[in-house]
Amino acid sequence: MIPHNIVIIGVSTGGPIALRRLFADLPPLNAAIIVVLHIPQGMDYRIAKGLDAVSSMPVALAVNGEYLRAGHVYIAPGGYHLMLEGNHRIVMVEGERVNFVQPSVDLAMKSISRPLKGKIVGVVLTGMGKDGAEGIQHIKAIGGITMAQDQDSCAIFGMPKAAAETGVVDFVLSPEKMGKKLASILS
Amino acid sequence: MDNRVMIVDDNEFIRESVEILFQTEGIRIVTAEGGNKCLDHLEAGFRGVLIMDVMMPQLDGWDTIRQIVARGLYDGNIILMLTAKREPDDNMAGIQQYVTDYVTKPFNPFELLDMVKYYATLLNDSEHYHDSP
Repeated sequence: MIPHNIVIIGVSTGGPIALRRLFADLPPLNAAIIVVLHIPQGMDYRIAKGLDAVSSMPVALAVNGEYLRAGHVYIAPGGYHLMLEGNHRIVMVEGERVNFVQPSVDLAMKSISRPLKGKIVGVVLTGMGKDGAEGIQHIKAIGGITMAQDQDSCAIFGMPKAAAETGVVDFVLSPEKMGKKLASILS
Repeated sequence: MDNRVMIVDDNEFIRESVEILFQTEGIRIVTAEGGNKCLDHLEAGFRGVLIMDVMMPQLDGWDTIRQIVARGLYDGNIILMLTAKREPDDNMAGIQQYVTDYVTKPFNPFELLDMVKYYATLLNDSEHYHDSP
């Protein structure tokens, strides 16, 4: 069944531990969850397996052409850009780095279209640079809910700061509080 | 914990403090006083968690990472940067995907220990989880 709700999370340096904190107490959500982490090939599956060990929802590397399912977590593999087709199918795209990185959070978020029904939640966690700032504006523009990690809990308050400075972020929270907020929105 | 740890720092006090911290836990650790020595260890087959200072003479942390990647020595390692700065400088641009985490000095030794142990568990799992894309 095609999920109506999507959570898309962008994260970079400090990400594995921030994600572990976010997912450790997160109950299964009525949403497909996409994680775009700046990570090279070869490390991506290790991060996925580490997150799977603490998550109540199954976590796997995203596969080209795969259809999203609610209650599943998809990690974007390194070396490709991840985009969504029709808000329900994963497409891997080769090409130039965007914002110095691949996968790019901005590209992934901007591939999501305004849903006919359901909710879109965009999240930007710890990391250097500004990847995700354009994406979070897009999520807001299509009617989504937006979140950024707070400075105290960040390894690097770069990407969340850039996202918050766009003025469109609804909630600035620690990973643990973010998990509670997601649960209240999507359980 | 099967994997090893490498502390890369030109500050002898930091190197020795971290070395004692990990040895006390029974974790194998090697030290490098700079980027070139770090590359020597990697060329000699070291694989594990690298705790690397940013500000070092000759080859700084960012350029050391660039060399690690250029020489094909990244696979099987996780790199944590150790720095006095809260925010990284622009020299990190383009290599942030190789910097898994970031530790600010002064650091809590037990938090560093927990962080390194967690990343080491990820490295210990050598089975491919999923083919992609």
